Amino acid sequence: MLRFTASRLVQLVVICFLISVFAFLLVHLLPGNPARTILGPNYTPANEAVLLKQLGLNKGLVAQYGTWVTNIFHGNLGASFLTKQTVTGALSVAVPIDLELIVVSQVLALLVAIPMALFAALRPNRAFDRVATTSTFAMLSLPTFVAGPLLVLVFAVTLKWVPATGFNRLSQGLGPNLKSVILPSVALAIGSVTVYYRLLRADLIATLQEDFVTMARSKGLSTRYILLRHVMRPSSFSLLAAAGISIGTLFTGAFVVEILFQLPGIGFQLVQAIYANDYLVVQGMALVAAVAFVVVNFGIDFLLTILDPRVRRA
Amino acid sequence: MADSADRYDRRAFLARGATTAAAVGLAGVGLPSLLAACGSGSPTTPHASSTPGIGIGAPKRGGTVTIGLNSEIDGFLPSTSHFDNSGLTYANTLFDTLTVVAADGSAKPYLASSVVPNSDMTAWTITLRSGVTFHDGSPLNADVLVANLQALQASALTGQALRGVVDSVAKVPGNDLAVTVTCAEPIVAFPQYLATQVGYVIGMAQLESQSTTKPIGTGPFSLVEWVPNDHLTVTRNPHYWRSGLPYLDGLTYRPISEDQSRENSLRSATIDLMVTRDPNAIRDLRGNADYQLVLNPTVGQGDMDFVILNTSVDPTSDIVVRQALAHAINVDELVKLFGAGIAKPNLSLFPPGSPYRPADNGYPTYDLAKAKQLVAQAAPNHGGTIKIALATITDPRLLNEVQAIASMWGLAGIQTTVSEIEQVTFIDNLVTGQFQAYTDEMFGATDPDLNYVWLSPTTANGAIALNFARNKDDALETALQQGRTMSDQAVRVKAYQEVDKRLAQDLPYLWASLATWCSIGSDVVQNFNNLTLPDGSKALGFSNGILDPTPMWRKD
Repeated sequence: MLRFTASRLVQLVVICFLISVFAFLLVHLLPGNPARTILGPNYTPANEAVLLKQLGLNKGLVAQYGTWVTNIFHGNLGASFLTKQTVTGALSVAVPIDLELIVVSQVLALLVAIPMALFAALRPNRAFDRVATTSTFAMLSLPTFVAGPLLVLVFAVTLKWVPATGFNRLSQGLGPNLKSVILPSVALAIGSVTVYYRLLRADLIATLQEDFVTMARSKGLSTRYILLRHVMRPSSFSLLAAAGISIGTLFTGAFVVEILFQLPGIGFQLVQAIYANDYLVVQGMALVAAVAFVVVNFGIDFLLTILDPRVRRA
Repeated sequence: MADSADRYDRRAFLARGATTAAAVGLAGVGLPSLLAACGSGSPTTPHASSTPGIGIGAPKRGGTVTIGLNSEIDGFLPSTSHFDNSGLTYANTLFDTLTVVAADGSAKPYLASSVVPNSDMTAWTITLRSGVTFHDGSPLNADVLVANLQALQASALTGQALRGVVDSVAKVPGNDLAVTVTCAEPIVAFPQYLATQVGYVIGMAQLESQSTTKPIGTGPFSLVEWVPNDHLTVTRNPHYWRSGLPYLDGLTYRPISEDQSRENSLRSATIDLMVTRDPNAIRDLRGNADYQLVLNPTVGQGDMDFVILNTSVDPTSDIVVRQALAHAINVDELVKLFGAGIAKPNLSLFPPGSPYRPADNGYPTYDLAKAKQLVAQAAPNHGGTIKIALATITDPRLLNEVQAIASMWGLAGIQTTVSEIEQVTFIDNLVTGQFQAYTDEMFGATDPDLNYVWLSPTTANGAIALNFARNKDDALETALQQGRTMSDQAVRVKAYQEVDKRLAQDLPYLWASLATWCSIGSDVVQNFNNLTLPDGSKALGFSNGILDPTPMWRKD
C-alpha cells in the first residue's frame, strides 16, 4: 500500500510539474511582444520595463520559471493587468463558489442516483427501471444551457423563490447562501445523476449475479442488508471513478452554469480572462484548475485502493 | 406600463467603452452666464407624479439598492481607466464632476461653483466650492484640481481628449479655490468637457498612488468592496457636500453582461434596477405595471449603433471596399430582425430632428447589385477576395447581429469571419488599432464638439488613437474646427452638417440605428431619474446607459 501510494505521489508531482511548465509557457506563446499585448493602450517603454521586471521576462527561461514557481509557493500568482486584482484574490472568491457548487451538486446527484439505482437493480426491466432509465436518458440530453434557463424561469422569475443570478457568501447567512447555489447546483446535478445512476445500476445488477450474493440470500439475510453490506461496496468503483472525473472537471467545466447564473467561479473568471486576453489570470487560473483536477483524481484513486485491493495489486 | 422618453439629453460620456467622456448641452455653449454659481447643496425635490424614475411623495432614508449593469470596468482612475457607461455610473457614485448637464442641455457648475471664460474663450477660470472634502477627509482645493488636470493631460489616453482643450493649468494667485485653464484655441464647449470623464476630481492620495482600485472622491458614496466581475459595494458618504443627500445607506452594483440573465435578475427581484440596451428586454417589460422604464433621451445626440472600420489596415483602407460594405448592409432588415420594434434605423451621425443633420448626407443606402459591382472592382487589389474580420463584444444578441451582417456581406461576395471579444479588450483594440471591423456604439453627446476627439484626424495618429477608425480627412477637420471655435450657432450648424456629409463620403462608420439604452426599475426603487442641481433645478437624468444614484431612495 505504501509503495503504491509513494508511486502515485511521484506521478502526481511529475504531472503537477508538467502542468506548471505548460502554464508558465502560456505567456511565452503569446504572439509578438507579450509585454505589449498585456499592456495594451497602457504600453510605453517605461511600463514595458516595469512589466518585464515584474514578470522576470528579462531573465533566461529557466531562471524565469524558477522565479515564477518560487512566487507561487509564496502565494503570488501575479495580478490582472486589467483590474489589478491579484490572482490569489480572484481565487479566494472563486474557489469557495466552486467548492460549494461541486459539493451541493454532487450530493444532490448522489442522493437521487443511488436510491434510484438500488431500486432499479433489484427489479431490472420492470416498470420503475424502465421509467428511470428512459427519464435519465432524457436528462442526459438536456444540456445545462437549457436546464439552467428553464430552472430560472420557473423558480426565480415565476415563483421568485430563489435569486436568478449571483452568489451569496456563507457570511451573509446560510439561507441566502443556499438559495443562491441551489439552482446552479441542480443544473449541474442533472447530468451527473444520469451517469451515476446508469453506472451504479449496471454494476449492481452484475454484482447481484455473483455467487456470494446467492450465498447471502440462502443464509436468509434481508435484501436490504445484502444490498447495503455486501453489494454496494463492490458495485461502487465505477461510480467513484466517474465522480472523481466529474468533480475534477467541474472546477472549470461549470463555466456554462457560472455564466448563466453570474457566479464568479474559476470557470467564469477563466472565460472572462481569455476573452480579455488577461494572460496572467488565465495562467494562474489554469494552473490551479489543472492541479485541482489531478489532486482530486489522485484522492479518488487512493480511495479506490482502500475499497478494492485489486487496484493496488494491478 | 410606464416608459418615458425624457425630452432632455444628459451629456454623456464619449463613447461606450472609450476613455474620455463627452456629452454636452447645446444651450450651454458659449453662455458663461449660465455658469454662475449655484446655491449650496439642497436635496432633490420630490415630484408627486407617476413619471417613471421620479419618486412619488417624500423621499425615505435608508436601505440599499442592487443595480444590474451591462459590463464591468478595469478601475477607478479617470486618467487611465476605461469608463464606459458602467464606468461612468460607478464614477457618478464615487466622484463628482466639476459641471453637470442641466435638463435644458446646458452645463452647470456642480463641484465647481463657477466656470467663467475670458472674452475670447481661450481661458477659463474654474472656482471650486468651499468646504468640500474627499472620502479620506482631505480638502478639495486648487492644488488638487491642478494635479488632477495635469494628470489627465499627461495621460496617453485622456491627454488626446484634452488636446487643444487644456493647454496649461495654473492656480489663481491668492485664491486657494480657483484655477485657470488656458486653451490652445477658443473652446466654446469647455464647460461641457468638465461634465465628462475628464471632469471627475479625485483625491490627492489616489493621484499620488495612481491606484485604480481604491477610489477617493467627493461623491455621494464611498467604496466598501470591489470584486471585479462580481460586485461593487458602496456606502453612504456622511459628509457629502450636498446636504441631505444621498438618501440610500448603500448600493451594490452587479455587472451582469448577459442581457437575458440581467432581465431575469430584475424579474426575480434579485436586483432592483437595471441598465439595458436590449430591445427585447424593453419590449418584454414596457407593458408591465410593476416596472418603471426610462428610455434614452431624444434631445441632443444619443449613442449610435454602427460598424466601425479601421481605415488604416487592408482591405478597409480602400474606400471602394468601404462603399461595398455600406451598400451591402440592409439596415431596415437588420432593425426589423433585431430591433424588437423598439430600435430605429439611422444613417447619420445625428438623429432625426437634430439641427446638425443635413436633409441628405449622401450616405450609401442598401444596394446589393452596387455592392457586388464594387467588390468586383476592388477584389483584384486585395488578392482577389475581400476578407473582413468582424467582431463584437461578448453578447449573444450582438453576435446574432454580426452574423446577419456577415451574411449580408457574404451575399455581396465578401468573406467575413465573426468573433467575440471581452469589452475591455475590445476597447483596447479600438484604441491601439488592432481591428478591422467592429460593431460599436458611441457619439452620445449634447454638443457635437464633444465628439471632436473621436472624429478628428489630429487624434488618428500614433500607437494609441482615440479616432479609432484612423480616418484622416482635412475637410472633416476644417468643419470640426469651425464647429469647435465658432460661437455663432448658424455657423456651427453648417459646420456639423458638413461633418455628417464628410463621414458619409469617407465611410469610417457604417451607420445602423439609434442605440436603445433604457433603465428599468422595480417599483421599490424610486427617483432614479431625478438628479437635481444644487439650486434645486433639474439635471439630466439617465442617458446613454449612465445612471446617477445620488437621488435614489427605496419605497419600502
